[in-house]
Amino acid sequence: MKELDELILPDDIRYSADHEWARIEDEFAYIGISDFAQDQLGDIVFVDMPEVGDSFDQGDEFGSLESVKAVSEMYMPLSGEVVEINEDLSESPELLNADPYENWIIKIRMEDLEDYDQLLDAEAYLESLEE
Amino acid sequence: MEPVKKTPFYQTHVNLGANMAAFGGYEMPLWYKTGAKQEHLAVIEQAGLFDTSHMALLTIEGKDAFALLQRSFSRDLLRCLGKEHQPLAAGRCAYGVFLLKNGTVLDDAIVYKIHDSMFMLVVNASMGEKVAAHLATYAMDVHIIDYTDRLVKLDVQGRATGKVLQQLLADPAAALDQFVYFSYRGCFEPGKANPAVFTKGGTEILLSRTGYTGEFGVEIFVQPEKALALWQEIMECGAPFGLIPCGLAARDSLRAGAMLPLSHQDIGDWIFGNTPWDFVLPTDENGSFTKEFVGDSAVINEKDKRFTYGFAGFDPRKILPGETSFVADLEGNRIGRILTCTTDMAIHRKGDEIISLIDMGEEEKTTIKGLSCGFVLVDREVEIGQRVSLVSGRRAVEVEIRKEIRPSRTAGMALSKFIALK
Repeated sequence: MKELDELILPDDIRYSADHEWARIEDEFAYIGISDFAQDQLGDIVFVDMPEVGDSFDQGDEFGSLESVKAVSEMYMPLSGEVVEINEDLSESPELLNADPYENWIIKIRMEDLEDYDQLLDAEAYLESLEE
Repeated sequence: MEPVKKTPFYQTHVNLGANMAAFGGYEMPLWYKTGAKQEHLAVIEQAGLFDTSHMALLTIEGKDAFALLQRSFSRDLLRCLGKEHQPLAAGRCAYGVFLLKNGTVLDDAIVYKIHDSMFMLVVNASMGEKVAAHLATYAMDVHIIDYTDRLVKLDVQGRATGKVLQQLLADPAAALDQFVYFSYRGCFEPGKANPAVFTKGGTEILLSRTGYTGEFGVEIFVQPEKALALWQEIMECGAPFGLIPCGLAARDSLRAGAMLPLSHQDIGDWIFGNTPWDFVLPTDENGSFTKEFVGDSAVINEKDKRFTYGFAGFDPRKILPGETSFVADLEGNRIGRILTCTTDMAIHRKGDEIISLIDMGEEEKTTIKGLSCGFVLVDREVEIGQRVSLVSGRRAVEVEIRKEIRPSRTAGMALSKFIALK
């Protein structure tokens, strides 16, 4: 298991307490899971993703990740409508272990840009993990 | 709550970057940096090294030792060996369960016969005291010793185990001669074995051809003070053959694919019977029991029968056991609960069949994603090949009731399949 100081936590994205991250691009946001989440889960064997067109509120469950041992729900860090899913993950779920930031899970059209400001920056997220 | 114990390998696991968790009262590795998937695959294709020191160990010695086991253990020790139904002999061991009077399972165990009045028992983590206390209630002329803290156990599992042993053992030809499934060499107490088994490094071990992965392999018992040296020696002998350390997650997915139950999860405080493991009951050709033993009448007279089945899914998706999940028939009626659900990473569906990684071409291997598998406990008989649904909240996964899950398992194969014997 990675020590906290070994975790990769890019500072150009924001994190939720549920270990998802969001990166905004205009009115869109890419959503994925943090390095901490993939390390805790271990080998990810299946990614259950929503469908394009599905709408979720911040905090809603939007899919699940299955590792060899566990099934973990993923929760929306932001409200919005799914406009794209990362099809590569259906074929190769292990990409999430290899690079959880390059490999986003869904792309959404954000409902409210201010949602993003409520998320944790890398430093605050790391602090939340230290607790 | 009791404090969580550590095995002698705790620091080794941490140094290897293991993801540790409490299991059976011990801090154990779930997986190492390689990840549970690679560890599972290593055991199928090469070999894995498991720290299983959390398992408990008892010895039973005395005039009534045999009578006590014959009365309390589900196997008939007079006819439990092989197709010929031979009695359990010194140097051999047998798997079975201890039932309570009400027919529920106290624990499963492997019973080793040392000699006519002495046996060794391997039971589950944190169960040593409970099984010893249970056996003491029979008030027979035996002396029961809890050996748990006096021995540690390392399992080497996978088809390369034979080659690893050839490098590891001081005299492999002697130790591996006639080394059939469910036999052992050496003694749990150093200096007592005739003949003893030593590693090249001079460590005395008890070598048992058993395991919990469904694959060819051994369980090695050693004194705690020799534990780290033995780990090192096995790693050095095994590395050329692809042996890697494996954690409990891989052990769990391997055993589920091999249709092996986890005690207190797949068998437990409900009446034993109608399971894939009914072979541990002393049943003859006519369906009658060949001996009387504790729990027998409860098993025979069970009114509200329940049935345990193995299953395999159609992809790696799982629904985990728990209060919020259940098993449903295809009409949506709730028929039972999930006991185990994990992913066997080394199997794949091809038409109606499940095939193992080991039987695939190199290119095909790269496409393998694994299948969910495990056990369900249901209130009605379900035919093999039927489908049921595992449900949790909005998620539902259809699975197939199976008699076997992972094919081409090696556990019981002749040693000569893996190494050239002199």
